[in-house]
Amino acid sequence: MRDYYPLTAAQKMHHNWIQDYKTQQVSGVSVVASLKAALDFGLLKKCIQLEFARYGCMRVRFTKPDEKGQVKQYIVEKETRDIPLKDLSGMSMGEADNLMQQWAYETFDGDDIPLCDVTMVKLPEGFNGFFIHMDHRLIDSCGLVVMINDLMQLYTHYRFGSEFPKDLADFEMVLEKDLKKANNEKRLAKDKKFWDDQLDALGEPLYSDIQGLSVLEEARERHGNKNLRAADIELKDLFVEVKDYYLEPEPTKNLIAFCMNHQLSMTNLLLLGIRTYLSKVNDGQEDITIQNFISRRSTHDEWTSGGSRTIMFPCRTVIPADMEFMAAAYEIQNVQNRIYMHSNYDPALIMDEIRKRYHTPEHTAYESCYLTYQPLPVKMDNPHLEQIPQHSKWFANGAATKKMYLTVSHTEYGGMNFSYHYQTAHLQEHDMELLYYYMMRILFKGIAEPDMTIGEIMAQV
Amino acid sequence: MTNEMQFKTIVAQYCEVKPEDMKNDMRFREDLGFSSLDFMSFLGELEDTFDVELEEEDVLKVLTIEEALEMMEKLQQEA
Repeated sequence: MRDYYPLTAAQKMHHNWIQDYKTQQVSGVSVVASLKAALDFGLLKKCIQLEFARYGCMRVRFTKPDEKGQVKQYIVEKETRDIPLKDLSGMSMGEADNLMQQWAYETFDGDDIPLCDVTMVKLPEGFNGFFIHMDHRLIDSCGLVVMINDLMQLYTHYRFGSEFPKDLADFEMVLEKDLKKANNEKRLAKDKKFWDDQLDALGEPLYSDIQGLSVLEEARERHGNKNLRAADIELKDLFVEVKDYYLEPEPTKNLIAFCMNHQLSMTNLLLLGIRTYLSKVNDGQEDITIQNFISRRSTHDEWTSGGSRTIMFPCRTVIPADMEFMAAAYEIQNVQNRIYMHSNYDPALIMDEIRKRYHTPEHTAYESCYLTYQPLPVKMDNPHLEQIPQHSKWFANGAATKKMYLTVSHTEYGGMNFSYHYQTAHLQEHDMELLYYYMMRILFKGIAEPDMTIGEIMAQV
Repeated sequence: MTNEMQFKTIVAQYCEVKPEDMKNDMRFREDLGFSSLDFMSFLGELEDTFDVELEEEDVLKVLTIEEALEMMEKLQQEA
C-alpha cells in the first residue's frame, strides 16, 4: 500500500507561492548539463531511467487538494515514461538556449501527475547532454547538482567501466525523518520561542527597499496608514529579468581570505553588504530584514536524498551607524547561527505570528531582497570527464515571486557570479547596477578597513 | 555503544571522518569541515538523541569534540 505524507516546510513554501500567485510557473526549476563529446544516447537513456529509480524525489507526485485545500505527497514506485531526444545541433548556442528557456517556462498543471521531465539534447558546437525541468517542491539546486553528478557517474560506469556510484540516501526515509523532527513538540516550542523572543525584543520589522524610502511611503498612502511598516508585493506582473555580474578571481580571493581570517562565512559577509546598501538608501535605517535561503543539507543522507530542502528565513539585524564593520559582521553571524539552530521551524509560522501581533495587511512583505549563496558549482565532478569541456546553464522560470533575488555562486575559474533576478514591474537593470556597484564598494571598503564604522562606510562609498 | 561512540557516530554523519578515527582534540570546523549550518544542525541532533537542552550561549563556545563531550556529560549529569 502506498504511503501519503504531508508537505515539509520547504515544500509548503513553494506550494504556497503557487497558490498565492496562481501559477505553477513560479515553482519551475530547469538546468541543462552537457559535454563536448559524442554521447551514446541509448545508454544515456538507460542511465536517466536508472536515475529515476535511484533518486526517489524524481517520482514524487501530489494529490488533489482535499476539502481544506491540503495536498499530500506520495512516491510512485516506477517511472515508465520514455525519455525523448531533441536535436538542436543545427542552431546557434544562443538559439538553443532561447528554446530551452521556453521549455523552462512550461508549467506542470494538474494533480497526481509527474513533476519531472528529462529530455536528452544534441546541442550546437558538438555539445550533448540532457535538460531537466522539475517542480521546486521536488528538488532544489543542490539536489539537482547531486543528481547530475550521479547520472554521469552511472554513464561513465557503463561506458568506461568506472566505479558504480555510491548509493544515494532513500528520499522517503529522509522525508519521514524530517517530518518527525518538524513534529517534535519540544523542539517546536523552543523554535517558536526563539522567533517570538525576537519580536518581543525588536517589535514589528520595518520594510526597506532597494529603491529607497518612497516605496514604503507609497504603500502607506495606498493603505491609508502612516504607520504601516510593510510594503505591497507584486502579484500580477511577475515577469523577471536576470542580470549577472562577474567578480574576478583576485578580488574574490580577497573576500574569501577575509572570511577565513575572521572565521566568518561568505553568506554573512554578503548579508552585511546588502543590508548596508539598504540602510544607505533608506536614510540610515538601522533595522533591516533580508530573506536568506538555507540549504538544510548537512548530513550525508541530507546531501544525497534529493528533495526540496532549501528554505528561507528572515535575517533581521539592528545595526547602528557607529558600529564597526567587523562588529556588524559578527552581529550578523551571531543572528544567523541562532537561526541555523532553529532552521527546522516552518517560516510560515513566523509570518503567522507577525500578522497576528501587528495585523500586517495581506500580500505585503517586510523584505525586498532575497539571498542565496551557493558554494557548489554545476560541474560534473567526474575524473572521466575532467578533460572534456562542459556547458551547464540554469534557466529562470520566468515568473518571480520576489522583488529581487540574488544568487551568488563560485565559478570554476576562481571568480564569483552575482546573478540578480528582478521583477521588471518595479525594477530596472540600472537598479541592479547600483546595488552591485555599492555592494562591492561597501564590502571592499569594509574588508580593507574593518574597524571603520558602518556610518563612515556608507558616507564614503 | 558507549555515549562517546554514539556521539562520534552522529558526528560522522556530518563529515568524512569515521568514528573510530576521530580524536578528541579535533576541531569541528577546521579538522572536520563543519560549516556553521552543519554545526547548528548537529547540535539539534544531539538534543534529540540524548534528550538534553543545550544553551545557545554555551554551544557557541564549543570548538572541539572533547569540549562537546564535556558539555554533554555535564548536561546529562544535571538531568
